[in-house]
Amino acid sequence: MTDPARADDEDDALAAELALGVLEGEERAAAQTRSTRDPAFAARVAAWEARLSPLADQIAPVPAPNLMPAIEARLFAQDRRERRFRIGALIGAGFVIAAVVLLAVAFLWMTPAPAISVHMQTADAATAYDATFDGFNLTVVRSAGQPAPAGKVHELWIIAPGKAPVSLGLLQDRPLVVGYPTPPAGWVLAVSVEPAGGAPAGKPTGPVVMTGEIAI
Amino acid sequence: MTDDPIAEMLRRCAAQDRAAFRALYSASSAKLFGLLIRILGDRAEAEDALQEVFTRVWLRAARYDGTRGSGMAWLVALARNHAIDRLRARPRVTAEVPEDIADDRMRPETRLIATGELLRMTDCFGKLEPDRAEALRGAYLRGLSYSELAARFDVPLNTMRTWLRRSLISLRDCLNQ
Repeated sequence: MTDPARADDEDDALAAELALGVLEGEERAAAQTRSTRDPAFAARVAAWEARLSPLADQIAPVPAPNLMPAIEARLFAQDRRERRFRIGALIGAGFVIAAVVLLAVAFLWMTPAPAISVHMQTADAATAYDATFDGFNLTVVRSAGQPAPAGKVHELWIIAPGKAPVSLGLLQDRPLVVGYPTPPAGWVLAVSVEPAGGAPAGKPTGPVVMTGEIAI
Repeated sequence: MTDDPIAEMLRRCAAQDRAAFRALYSASSAKLFGLLIRILGDRAEAEDALQEVFTRVWLRAARYDGTRGSGMAWLVALARNHAIDRLRARPRVTAEVPEDIADDRMRPETRLIATGELLRMTDCFGKLEPDRAEALRGAYLRGLSYSELAARFDVPLNTMRTWLRRSLISLRDCLNQ
């Protein structure tokens, strides 16, 4: 009664179900466990994940806040403590003092990169956003006025000379922080009004209500 | 090898290269964040999930196998699996089943990257019966489970399972052609 082709299809269908994520409860848990123990089954799951992944291309990307500091703190915090301990054990106190003196000198020489600010406001000056490049991130906060009306959202764009706008994210009530170490001189920041969730195709669809040039 | 920069970054992450990890975040976080927001339906939870996903990316980068698919496909699968684990851990509220699956219909004119892969997928989806294709999209893009799909399409759970299994196998055969 055992038909190898049929058993094969059965396995492949289960792998597809796991990759698609439609299973629940014990059934999902059992399939997950199997994929950690059965390499042939794991390969089927991986093949299904790759096969289905083009479907994700229909979802518009949404610029994410810079979560790397939190992620790195979580992953590497212990690491950093261990290293500090090792160094502390290895080098003598005199050397530490010398290092501190050297560091102090280095600090005196270093001038922090000046922050670059760009102020943007609507024609009637009722709504305004302030964008600041601090050498690591671009932070944008609303300094006057209200968010976009219900069902709409303000979206921030950056425009290189002669190029199409690139979305940097949606401006909500909290500050928008985007990793952006070097402010590009002469580029323009712009805010448009988009449907809730942001411009669906990655290019502005609504009116541009304010712009500001990045002047350095 | 260089035609898949994400795969290259994953290999460097596996070799503990933190600069590559940051580059990977810059290159892929927007796509994964969009996906997480879509599945979880909540921006704050999606941020939380994104942090968890990238933590796992670093810890599991060595498991990425370039012969099984692109680097982005691996990241997308990791993010989807995590999002679906979160969905399945939520208390069951039947009324929460989203009603707007139709919004997820393939819209080639609005998609960002016209990949050949997506065109083939669109083509193969077109060969499925419309409601089955819609169920498949609901599962992939919203993380709907068999029981949620069965409720949404008002069919018994086993019927839904038969539908989806058959659709998946014909999708596979179409894509393999």
